[in-house]
Amino acid sequence: MTTDAMTLTPARPLPKPARRPRKAKPRRSWNTAAGHLVMVVLAIFCLFPVYWMIVSSLRPANAIFETTLWPSTASLDNYSYALKAIPILRMLVNTLVVAATVTVVQLFTGLLAAYAFARWRFPCDKLIYTLIALTWLVPFQVVMIPNYLFVANLGLLDNLLALILPHFAAALAILMLAQSMRSFPREVLEAARMDGARSWRILWEIVTPNLRGTIASLAILIFISTWNEYFWPLLLSRSPQNSVVQIGIQMFMSSEGTQWGPLMAASTLASLPILVIYVVLQRQVIQSFMKSGIR
Amino acid sequence: MISDATLSGPVQAPPQPLRLPRPATPTRRASAWRIAPWLYLAPAAATLILWIYWPLLDAFRLSFFRWNMLPGAPMTFVGWENYQNIFALPKFWQALRNTGLYILGLVPLAVIVPTVVAIYTHDLPARSRNFYRTVIFVPMIIAPVVAAAIWRWLLDPAHGMVNEAITLFGFRPVRFLQDPTVAIWTIIVPTGWKLIGFSTLILSAANANINPALIEAARMDGASKWEIVRDIRLPLLRSTILFLALMTILLGAQWSFSYIHVLTGGGPLGSTTNIFYILWDFGFSTLSVGWSSAAAVILFLGFGALAFVLLRLMDRYSFHDN
Repeated sequence: MTTDAMTLTPARPLPKPARRPRKAKPRRSWNTAAGHLVMVVLAIFCLFPVYWMIVSSLRPANAIFETTLWPSTASLDNYSYALKAIPILRMLVNTLVVAATVTVVQLFTGLLAAYAFARWRFPCDKLIYTLIALTWLVPFQVVMIPNYLFVANLGLLDNLLALILPHFAAALAILMLAQSMRSFPREVLEAARMDGARSWRILWEIVTPNLRGTIASLAILIFISTWNEYFWPLLLSRSPQNSVVQIGIQMFMSSEGTQWGPLMAASTLASLPILVIYVVLQRQVIQSFMKSGIR
Repeated sequence: MISDATLSGPVQAPPQPLRLPRPATPTRRASAWRIAPWLYLAPAAATLILWIYWPLLDAFRLSFFRWNMLPGAPMTFVGWENYQNIFALPKFWQALRNTGLYILGLVPLAVIVPTVVAIYTHDLPARSRNFYRTVIFVPMIIAPVVAAAIWRWLLDPAHGMVNEAITLFGFRPVRFLQDPTVAIWTIIVPTGWKLIGFSTLILSAANANINPALIEAARMDGASKWEIVRDIRLPLLRSTILFLALMTILLGAQWSFSYIHVLTGGGPLGSTTNIFYILWDFGFSTLSVGWSSAAAVILFLGFGALAFVLLRLMDRYSFHDN
C-alpha cells in the first residue's frame, strides 16, 4: 500500500538536512553532478528515438537522409503523403473507438466482478478469484489460434468488434478494483443496506464514486495499452478501412524498401494522442503504470 | 516495499492471492446459493472462459491433429506426432536457446542498470528528479510497433543515424539486423529501451522509501558508502529487484515479439526467432495448426512451471518487513 507514497516521492520533502554534515559539501556537489550526468545520459537514450521520429517526419523527401539534429527545412509533405496512401484518419478513429470501448466495458465488468467478491461470500469464491488471477499465466500466443478460429467462425474477421470482444474483461482490472474495494469501509455498505438500498444502487451510488482514483488510473492504463495493441489486430485485420493505426504503420514498411518519411509521419500521428494524454496527465499516467506493474 | 497493488497485478498468483474481505461480523451469512454474486460475476467470467480458458483447452485438442486451417481441408488425428516433430526440429531448440538469450540480454537493461542508476541518483534535488522521471518514462507509453519502426530507421544499415554516428568515428558500419551474430542483441535494445526508464522509476521509488534513519545510523557507525549500499540499500530493495527480475524472466521474450516481427521476422537464419515467435510462424506463416498448438502447449506448461518455481523462490527470498 505504499504505492502512493512512493510514486509521489518527488513531491514529498525528504528529510535531507539530517544526513548532510556541513563539511561534506564539496563532495556532495560533485556527486550530484555525476548523478545528473547519469540521468542526462539515460534521458537522452530514452527520448532521442522519439525526437528523431518527429524530426524525420518533418524532413522533406530529398532531405530525409540528413543527420542534422534540427531539420534544415521543415515540411508536412510526409504527412500529406501518409494521409493519401492509407486511410490513416479512419484508422485513428477506429483505434479510438476500440480503445475507448474496451476501457469502458472492461471497467464495467471489472467493477461488477470485484463487487461480487467484496460484498458476498459464495461457494468457490476463492477458487474463482484465483482462476481469474491465473489468467495472466496464459500468454496470448498460446490461445491465438483457437481465438482466431472462433472469430472466423463468428464471421467477424476484419471487423472492429472482434478487436474489442476478447477485452471485455481483464484480470488486472478485476484484481485492482477488488483490492481497492477491500479497503472500502464496510460500515458504509452495511448502513446503506439497512436503508434498504439494493446492491445495484450501492455499487453505483456509493462504492463506485469512492473508487474514482483507482478507476481513473485503470482507465488510463487500459486505454493506452489497448491503443498500442498490435498482435491481435495483426491477426484479424484485412482491409485498411477496418484496421487500427498500429497496422497502418506497418504498411509503410516492406521488404523492397521502406518509405522512411511517411513511416515516421504515420508513427508520429499514431503516437500523438498518447503523447498528448501523457503531457496533460503525466503524473497520473506514471502512477497508473507503476501501480499495476508491467503489462 | 513494492506495494500490494503492484504485486496484485499480474504476479500475485499462488502465494497469497486470497485475502478476500472478511467482515468482522458476517452479517449476511453466505446462504449457500445466492444468485446475486453470480450475476455480478457473469460478464467477466464469461469473457475469461470464452477467450482464455476454453481456447486453452482447445489448443490442447488441436495439438493432436494435423490441419492447415483452410476451409474444407481435412483434420487428421495424429496423436503425439506433432510433439515428436517439434522436439526433433532444430529450429525449436534454436528458438528455445534464443528465448534464454533474450532474457539474459534483458536483465541488465531492465534490472541491473536501473538498480545502479536508482541508487546512484537518489540524492538529486526533487525538481530535477521530477523532470528526469517524466522523460525516462516516455518509451513505456510508445506503442511497440512505433518503437520498432523508429529503431528500424535508426539502425538502417545505409542511412540510419546509429551507423552514421559509427562511421563518423571512423568505424565500419554494423549490419545490426542483417548479421546473424548481432541481430538478436540488436532486438534486445528496443525491448530494453521500453523498460529501462520504467524499471528505474520503480526502483527509485522503492529506494526513496527506505527510512533515512537507517542510512544515517550506519553512517554514524562509520560505514562507507559502498557498505551502506551493500548492507542496507540492496537488501531493502531486494523484493523490488526480484519482482523486476521475475517479470523479465517470465515476460521478457514475449515483449520482444513486436520487434522481432517488425525488424527481422525471425531471421537472419532464424537467429532472432524465439519460442513465442515460432508459435506465430507455425500458425500463420506455414498454416500448421497442429504444430503451433503443440508448441503452444509446450510453452504453456514450461512457462507455468517456471512461474510456479519463481514465485515460490520470490516468496522465500523477498524481504517482507521494512
